[in-house]
Amino acid sequence: MSIQEQYRKKAAELLSSGEVKLVIGYGSGSTPDRRRALFARTADDAALFHVDAACDANLSGYLVNEGLLSDKKKIGIFLKPEGIRSVNILAAESQLDPDQIVILGFTEENGTVSGLQGTQASDFTSLMTALKENRTTSEKEQALVDKIEAMTPQERFAFWQAEFEKCIKCYACRQVCPMCYCKRCIVDNNQPQWVHTSSHTLGNFEWNLVRAFHLSGRCVECGGCDRACPVNIPLRLINRRMANEVLDAFDHFSGMNQNQEPVLASFKKDDPETFIL
Amino acid sequence: MTKILLRDKLDDCLTRWHAAGFDVVGPVRKNNISQYATVKKAGELDLGIILPDRTLKDLFFPQTEPMFSYRISKQKIDTEEYLPPGRQRIIFGARACDASAMAIDDPLFGWDYQDTYWFKRRNETVIVTIACTAADEFCMCTSLKLAPDSTQGSDILLRPLGDNRGWQVEELTDRGREAFSRIEALLEESPAQTAALADVPIKFDLDLCREWLQNPENFESHFWKEISMRCIGCGTCTFLCPTCHCFDFQDEGDTYTGIRRKNWDSCSFALFTMHTSGRNPRSTQSARWRQRIMHKFNYFPGKFNLNSCSGCGRCTRECPVDMGIIETLQEITKLSQ
Ligand code: SF4
Ligand code: SF4
Ligand code: SF4
Ligand code: SF4
Repeated sequence: MSIQEQYRKKAAELLSSGEVKLVIGYGSGSTPDRRRALFARTADDAALFHVDAACDANLSGYLVNEGLLSDKKKIGIFLKPEGIRSVNILAAESQLDPDQIVILGFTEENGTVSGLQGTQASDFTSLMTALKENRTTSEKEQALVDKIEAMTPQERFAFWQAEFEKCIKCYACRQVCPMCYCKRCIVDNNQPQWVHTSSHTLGNFEWNLVRAFHLSGRCVECGGCDRACPVNIPLRLINRRMANEVLDAFDHFSGMNQNQEPVLASFKKDDPETFIL
Repeated sequence: MTKILLRDKLDDCLTRWHAAGFDVVGPVRKNNISQYATVKKAGELDLGIILPDRTLKDLFFPQTEPMFSYRISKQKIDTEEYLPPGRQRIIFGARACDASAMAIDDPLFGWDYQDTYWFKRRNETVIVTIACTAADEFCMCTSLKLAPDSTQGSDILLRPLGDNRGWQVEELTDRGREAFSRIEALLEESPAQTAALADVPIKFDLDLCREWLQNPENFESHFWKEISMRCIGCGTCTFLCPTCHCFDFQDEGDTYTGIRRKNWDSCSFALFTMHTSGRNPRSTQSARWRQRIMHKFNYFPGKFNLNSCSGCGRCTRECPVDMGIIETLQEITKLSQ
């Protein structure tokens, strides 16, 4: 049985047995190569799920939709490893109770998907360790990273200025991100107005810097923001750089487990103090 | 015999238009995004695309626009008004859906108040539209009763020739005729045949949709919740929509000195309708999605006898969660059959 068949069956069982009230997965999209979130409430709906290489979205953000988990009932959800990491972070930050989440985990490599053993976020600890040890970047991506790293600060500033000038402040990068669950984002606060709401170069810089910092050590590199950005700003490069920083400085790999402390909100005696004069 | 403009004369056209004081703007791909931008040479124009990622409204209603600066002292209040720079422009290679969108927004910006910024730019701009010979699966001008060669909003319509060597010229307005009189000597008389227009299938029944939307019983329909469940409430579909026109005022600075700006806003944002009290009359994403559809296909036509949509398809093409209006209107069509 293909992984898709197995998971359709599993989702149908979860729903018909009443173990979960809802399964969030992937259904067909508006074109043959698109997949979109599908919310299944019955075993019949579960027959519409897809599990294949086109299922790229990290669906975990839907879990924290207002009121969805407040009845204490369980929800099933299709997640890739990055999605499982997001669930760990949401649990660590008290946004959800991981016992309410039944995971249908899968992973994709070179266009082939395979299922992951386990149903609870805590079942995937060894996977997380392996992911931390084997962080990979495609050759093409690495070439771009190297190019940017080799730039002088002035050149790098010019590069990002040209990118951020394109930003239209649609906040798709924020809305799509499972880690951006704040009821009121700092950029939406106007008493005081911390960040310019205007989408001019300064305002765009401010927004993108706020996003980068607030996601340092929390971003799981699911790529959602990068795919969502309608003006194609390479947000993944920022995410990767920040992830590297926290890994190098604090040995912090976001979403390892549900007890992980947020790296920028916790203090350890042996934290490096390279930037404190 | 009709007038044609040959592709290889385009550089000479640009030279003449520049000499006559026009800026020339057209679809350009730069920095991994395609948008209407100012060009110096014809070679910079990217005329082979279906349509640019960004819309024509950027050129008339930019995402952020300074309106005036203020300085408040004990004795007086000084203000300085900013107006758009007075440059004559020719937009070469607009798409029919984008040009139509400008005509759709004209009555809106001129309804109870003449929007100086919009109309100043509208009056300074000549829109030269090229009819489409190719479309993608999201294009839906025909569903909006428009077409790949609609003339609304355009000053000149160019129809591509079958041999791709240039375009047949159709002059639509005095402004268009005036701009093309500058390149009269470069045009030719020719019996050349025009290429077939893009085949854009009709995707939903607009009249049935309007009827359904007008029925007050459907306002609270469960349909809105179901259809918008995956919407994440971003600004993509409104900001990349050529007809969406909502804005917000922001004072940048402090109590004594600063700039008032007019910024795009979006009915998809929760903050859009948030009261200072903290109450939000459109508190759910489904209510916000309903508003977007109602506004475009019920309220706007009720007021201006026009749909606030020209069928460019960007809302569906670019939505990060694969929503957009096509599916919604298709489902409404089914519901009302
Ligand atoms: S910042 Fe982007 S890549 Fe990181 S978790 Fe959020 S959506 Fe995913
Ligand atoms: S998704 Fe892109 S354009 Fe939209 S706010 Fe984020 S960076 Fe800016
Ligand atoms: S429909 Fe799509 S583009 Fe529009 S607000 Fe919702 S998620 Fe964003
Ligand atoms: S609603 Fe969608 S299809 Fe219609 S004009 Fe706006 S972006 Fe284009």
